[in-house]
Amino acid sequence: MEVFLQTLVAGVLKGGLYGLIGLGMSLIMGVMGIINLAHGQLMMVAMYVTFVLSHYLGIDPYISLFVSMPALFFLGVVIQKYTLNPLMEQDSILPENQVLMTVGIGMVLTEIARFIFTSDYKSVQTSYSDATFFLGEISFSIALVISFFIAVGLTLFMFWFLLKTDTGRSIRATAQDKDAALLMGVNSKRITVITFGLGSALVAAAGTVLMPIYYLFPDIGGSFTRNAFVITILGGLGSTVGAIFGGLTLGLAEAFGATYIGMAYDDMIGLLIFILVLLFLPGGFKRLTKI
Amino acid sequence: MKKSKVFIGLFVAVALVFTFGISQSMAADTIKVGIILPLTGKLAKFGEIENKSFLMALKEINAGGGVNGKKIELIVEDTTGKPDVGRSAIEKLITQDKVVMLGGGYSSSVTWATIAVAQQNKVPFLVNTGSADKITEQGWEYIFRLNPPVSEYPGAVGSFLKEVATDVKTVAILHENSLFGQSGSKTFEEQCEGFGLKVLMKEGYEAGAIDFKPLLMNVKSKEADMVYMISYIMDASLLMRQAKELNLNPKLFMGGAAGFTLPEFEKNAGKASEFVYSATLWTPSVPYPGAKAYYDKYVELYNEPTEYHGAEAYSAMYVIADTLKRAKSLDRKDVRNALADTNLITVFGPVKFISYDKMTNQNKLPTFLVQWIDGKLETVWPKTVSTKGYVYPTPKWSKR
Repeated sequence: MEVFLQTLVAGVLKGGLYGLIGLGMSLIMGVMGIINLAHGQLMMVAMYVTFVLSHYLGIDPYISLFVSMPALFFLGVVIQKYTLNPLMEQDSILPENQVLMTVGIGMVLTEIARFIFTSDYKSVQTSYSDATFFLGEISFSIALVISFFIAVGLTLFMFWFLLKTDTGRSIRATAQDKDAALLMGVNSKRITVITFGLGSALVAAAGTVLMPIYYLFPDIGGSFTRNAFVITILGGLGSTVGAIFGGLTLGLAEAFGATYIGMAYDDMIGLLIFILVLLFLPGGFKRLTKI
Repeated sequence: MKKSKVFIGLFVAVALVFTFGISQSMAADTIKVGIILPLTGKLAKFGEIENKSFLMALKEINAGGGVNGKKIELIVEDTTGKPDVGRSAIEKLITQDKVVMLGGGYSSSVTWATIAVAQQNKVPFLVNTGSADKITEQGWEYIFRLNPPVSEYPGAVGSFLKEVATDVKTVAILHENSLFGQSGSKTFEEQCEGFGLKVLMKEGYEAGAIDFKPLLMNVKSKEADMVYMISYIMDASLLMRQAKELNLNPKLFMGGAAGFTLPEFEKNAGKASEFVYSATLWTPSVPYPGAKAYYDKYVELYNEPTEYHGAEAYSAMYVIADTLKRAKSLDRKDVRNALADTNLITVFGPVKFISYDKMTNQNKLPTFLVQWIDGKLETVWPKTVSTKGYVYPTPKWSKR
């Protein structure tokens, strides 16, 4: 029982973070119809921002959220405005080429990081990095719990933003029907720029709160891009609620798989669920909800 | 359509100019040696230490007159830590660069994929780190190995268990899931019987995982006396940090070399690294001439510490130079024969290729135990080379 509960806790805490990672990608997917394959690399940039702030200026990783999120929002805006939007205007270039462009951007970001920081592993050591509290026999990592609540908070904020604000409504309108949104006076180019910025800021938050418990090197982005992709497909392309369920599912599946089947099959379990969802629930969890 | 064709044509032309341009510019008065290492990707840190050590040794050798008047030229190819990339890298070195011999070979998976190419093309390959046993168990006459195979890493662990940690009766083995970890854990499991240990569990994990707690929970519920871990660097740090979080208290935390001896381990695991033991193949205090001098020179040049991977690379470079010096001609076959006759004392220990058990062309060396004490990597076993007394049993997390 103790092992079961500990696994459940590990899965839910990790799932919350995964949800946050998937959310940004889902948002971009919904509005622009492209998979952002530089997603994990953007997260890597945010992690380096956090690392630099903590290492050289002694700023706590959670406080550096206020720097890393705006910084990545800005980076996302620049990427969309100056690299992806110009591609859209060229009729001769297929829209799929935007996806290829994101792959290129991801590589450039990785190599820039390697150029500046070398391939060394970096991590941020805080007083709470390996602090824990116990509920009964179950150990909770304080850093993971804080990350989880920040992830939940940001997700809720995102919902409020999408449902209640004018910009949020415009984003949803563009996602549902771009042409109709255009006819209703939505500046769709501006919306794509904002969306890419938001998506980047969200994954930046995920990277920053992961920093106290994980580590960092230039090539770290790839595996997170893959995770985000799996989560996005699980949740249903473009669905925000779906992304959260996708994240939780992946987190739980990995944790229970690790305990009861073997940790060596970590990746396999995630991808197996991915295939099962594609086969039996094409369209992902989105089909089970209305939002 | 037309545009793209023109573009592709241009690209091919430029690529051709580049390859031919470069290969022709390398004049014949250097001896070309190919090195394959992971310079990018997850294993880049190890590759970097080895690359720097290779270059340091190369500089010394060339400054001392090179080999019979000729300078050695190293062509270092990046494997990115992936077997398929490693394979094409080695093919490029053999067919395009026409190297006379090969060196490097970090990570067992990549090395395993590349040695077959070297053997097929009859190019001598001195492996200096890839440690899965089967690398030298094929009877391939062009494959040589400087470092001991992974099955011999725990040699010092055995004597330590027999003479000091006599109350350790059970063990849990955790290993990363590529060829290195699988090979190492399998042979360690077999050796445990000889050490008088009962293996309670043996579990693999995928390198790069975020959360090891489910795995460590299993270890905790089994109450093993010793936890033996075969891990690359960052997994090693996370394993120890999370063992601390879960309050996992075995009598011994033992690392099987690799990740547990790098300075980064202590940097990233912080306090959780304290009192962790590791098998190792080399420390600056080993009784071989030049070992300490190599360490000091490296620190002076690169301003960071080095460890056994670097010593392997540094020694490999000297073995390569020595081989080329003795070779009758630069024909690959003559180079191979010269390599087989090697009898050289290096900073990594005496190098002599022998055949024993199932292995051929394998160098045989003793191993050592190190322990992290007060944030420093101290050699603690065997006693003859120790720099500090060992701390045993490992204090409980709550009592530190």
